[in-house]
Amino acid sequence: MDALLHAFGIDWRLLIAQAVNFGILFVALWLLLYKPVMKTLDERAKKIAQGVHDAERAAEKLAGADTEAAEIVAGADSKASEVVASARETANAEKTRIVKEAEARAESIARDADARAKEAAAKALRDSEKEIARLAVLAAAKVVGEKK
Amino acid sequence: MASAPEHAGQAAAEHGSGIHVVLKAEELFSVWGFPITNSLIMTWMVMALMIVFAILFRRQIAMVPGKLQAGIEMLFQGVLDYMAETLESEKLARKFFPLIMTIFLFVLVANELAFLPGVGSILFNDIPFLRPPSADLNMTLALAFISFLTIEITGATVLGFFKYAGKYVNFRSPVDFAVGLIELVSNVGRLISFSFRLFGNVFAGEVMIIVAMFFVAYLAPIPLIAFEVFVGFIQAVVFAMLTLFFIKLAIMEPHGDEAH
Repeated sequence: MDALLHAFGIDWRLLIAQAVNFGILFVALWLLLYKPVMKTLDERAKKIAQGVHDAERAAEKLAGADTEAAEIVAGADSKASEVVASARETANAEKTRIVKEAEARAESIARDADARAKEAAAKALRDSEKEIARLAVLAAAKVVGEKK
Repeated sequence: MASAPEHAGQAAAEHGSGIHVVLKAEELFSVWGFPITNSLIMTWMVMALMIVFAILFRRQIAMVPGKLQAGIEMLFQGVLDYMAETLESEKLARKFFPLIMTIFLFVLVANELAFLPGVGSILFNDIPFLRPPSADLNMTLALAFISFLTIEITGATVLGFFKYAGKYVNFRSPVDFAVGLIELVSNVGRLISFSFRLFGNVFAGEVMIIVAMFFVAYLAPIPLIAFEVFVGFIQAVVFAMLTLFFIKLAIMEPHGDEAH
């Protein structure tokens, strides 16, 4: 056994030294390499999870906004047609009123004109009667004068 | 240390005449009686390189990753997912991730750096100044011990000491008793299989390349080196994965309790 150990140069001091070497490397790499890299990996995983979660929520919100927008548009649509209908109704009523008023006015104007025409005719008649009477008097006077 | 390059020049001439293969890591010098071997120096270099990289890399970690960060993250995430799948627990996977990842990265970097020019060829007092850490049984055995202790301690803490011990020593039936003992031996045997597998692969690769270079110095060793680069990666994966699988085996409920 001793010969074997000697042949391979096994020395317990070297064994311990190599074990300690490995221990030092182990601790150093743990603190300097594995820990920071693992931390970064974990942080990134967390960030990605957060990002996915946020994206999901955003998509949900977007879908909500879409239905809300559709609702609003539908509401606006019905309201607009309501407004148009009421406007049409008002316009119709106004139209009827205006037409009626215009008719009434036309009638009154026509009546007025008629009355005035009749009066003018009567006056003309009276005037012409007076003229005729005067002309008759003048004619009579002429006749009488010549005879004189 | 200052005269090392001159020594290296002379020594290289002497060594050029034959194949220089040494089974064990050689002692370069000693500090207060503590032997400093060439593989120990290279282990320190690998450690320093990895720690410096980690420090530089940590500074520029960003939420939006660059190419390097993305690659490292992909590796970590992939390994973590695979571990969670194997252990069937995200929590345990995160707990063992640092160990499995360090085994993998350390063995990988150590194995691949062995192909840098100068490893094995730069000499210091006639001895190669650098030797691949995995070509030293001290390093692979230390790793195997760490892996072994982790496996056994995990089994004992997750299942409870007596339940875990009951996997190996039980008196339910003679067959169960024998099976338990065999498992106990095979568990301890992992120390040897773990350490010698890594050592054998890397050392054999080194020897193969040295021999090939002795016969044909140019071009011929290239396919071998390419293959050894692959072997270095595979051995890193194997060491890390086997540790993971044995952890899984250790935390599994003992036989008899589960439906077969």
